[in-house]
Amino acid sequence: MSQATTTERPERPALTPPITAAAGTGRLRLTLHQIRYEQLSFWRNPQSVFFTFALPVMIIVIFGAVFGGNQPDSFFYGLSGMQYFTPTVAALSVFGACYGQLAVSLSIRRQNGILKRLHATPLPAWTYFAGLLAHALVVSAVEVVLITVVGYCYGVPLPAQWGATIASLTLGAASFCALGVGVSSLISDSEAASAVVQFIQFPLMFISGNYFPIHSALLDDVADALPMRPLNQALLGAFTGHGGVPWRQLAVLLAWGVVGTLVAVRRFRWDTRR
Amino acid sequence: MNHVLVQDLRKSYRDKEAVRGVGFHVEAGEIFALLGPNGAGKTTTLEILEGFRQRDGGTVEVLGRDPGDRAHSGWLRRHVGLVLQDIAVEPYLTVRETIARNAGYYPAPRPVDEVVALTGLTEKSRTRVKDLSGGQKRRLDLALGIIGNPRLLFLDEPTTGFDPNARHGAWDVVRNLRDTGTSILLTTHYMDEAQALADRVAVIAAGRIVATGTPATIGGRDHALKRIRFTLPDGCSPDDLPVPVDVEADGTVTASVAEPTRVLHQLTGWALDRGLVLNGLTVEQPSLEDVYLGLTADHEAAPAPDTEKSPLSAAGHRSTR
Repeated sequence: MSQATTTERPERPALTPPITAAAGTGRLRLTLHQIRYEQLSFWRNPQSVFFTFALPVMIIVIFGAVFGGNQPDSFFYGLSGMQYFTPTVAALSVFGACYGQLAVSLSIRRQNGILKRLHATPLPAWTYFAGLLAHALVVSAVEVVLITVVGYCYGVPLPAQWGATIASLTLGAASFCALGVGVSSLISDSEAASAVVQFIQFPLMFISGNYFPIHSALLDDVADALPMRPLNQALLGAFTGHGGVPWRQLAVLLAWGVVGTLVAVRRFRWDTRR
Repeated sequence: MNHVLVQDLRKSYRDKEAVRGVGFHVEAGEIFALLGPNGAGKTTTLEILEGFRQRDGGTVEVLGRDPGDRAHSGWLRRHVGLVLQDIAVEPYLTVRETIARNAGYYPAPRPVDEVVALTGLTEKSRTRVKDLSGGQKRRLDLALGIIGNPRLLFLDEPTTGFDPNARHGAWDVVRNLRDTGTSILLTTHYMDEAQALADRVAVIAAGRIVATGTPATIGGRDHALKRIRFTLPDGCSPDDLPVPVDVEADGTVTASVAEPTRVLHQLTGWALDRGLVLNGLTVEQPSLEDVYLGLTADHEAAPAPDTEKSPLSAAGHRSTR
């Protein structure tokens, strides 16, 4: 084969880029190609499998052992412990799979020169990010399904409103991905990436009620404006069937997604240069 | 056709002029080496050619297109391969997966297995990248540089950190690529690498090209004086010899001549007539390294002069530019 191409070499370079009628399907195929390799990298990396994937599942299993009773409790706003934690831990897992994963892995890839190298190939940036985002959505979906199944085993009914559940999760995941890319664009040193990501993630989880319910109107008001609690509330409503379409929460998530996207578009770099 | 054309290239960083009027060209199908000390402007020049940096002035053409013009970047990415100084590969994919992934980015890639074999990674093709040695990772990097079947390949210090076997292996790969029609522009600070690989070399110092030529002729190397050296036989004085020589403290004498055949004959004839032996007799050509050191030393000390001095001025010849 190399002979064949060699003999063609001296011909003049094609002046038109090879955009064909199949460009659309080509792009889709390339995105699937990217998702496949992102998945391989993810599932083989012990750190991502443990911290991003297994930890939330472990948390829900442990919470199930601790708060396993099905009695409604005013501490959980009249829900059972697991009715409260199944949606909130699912939300937490999506946050880790999208925001945490993208912020850290993009920072590391930028620092290693992988992004610079990639940017020198013909892979369109759009396709790269589409693949990465879809990969994060796949990981999130697997997590949410597993966590929902664990909850179900502890007697939590399946979501009452599937539409609202899926809409909230999808918008939340997309918004968290945008924030992940945005934050990775602001981190100049990958050594600091993990610390910065955790520094944002943990306090946010605590005040948003992912680890225990918050009974402070002030804290709730603050957390309602941040990206985590709106997803918790939307999912709690959708799982238990209270409250209809959570427009306000979805709007906050969308707003954060826009913020993340704007930062990413303005500040994202393929290399470490200042 | 020139695959790379650089004229009067200029680039400054804040207070430093890194590249000040560099010019050279790379012909289709040749291996061209850019030699120079660290900080001479090699990498800056290469990064401008690769489209990673914008130039301040001058003309640059890569495969006939301007790498500083975004309109061409997509086309250039499809037809130019590059290997950067730093190893940049995903740790958890195998060698073959990494190459196959990148193959998917190009319209007409080389077959994956061919590239695996060409870079000597067949035995490691199922090994995860994190388990490779440094040299193997560099070879994987090289594989990624050529998987798209580029017409032109940029190699930034391709064998830094290789053991001697791996270097010779990498050289074979590079020659092979040239023989299958890829033009190659490489930077290096190994003289033996330039000598072994390059069809032509340019020496860059303090942001300027100070000499261009083939490895054999650059800097007047082919016209420089050859040195005939041997140990003065016991009981002889330098004045007994039939030709003028320099004497060192340890008794080694050196005759510097433009053409050694006649002088060598005179010296050996003289020794045979007297039943003497010329111990340690050698004829030395100035090495590429001698030329390089001479060329770059001037510019290290005083990075301004426009005049280009031949490092071997004793030969009385200018470099053949």
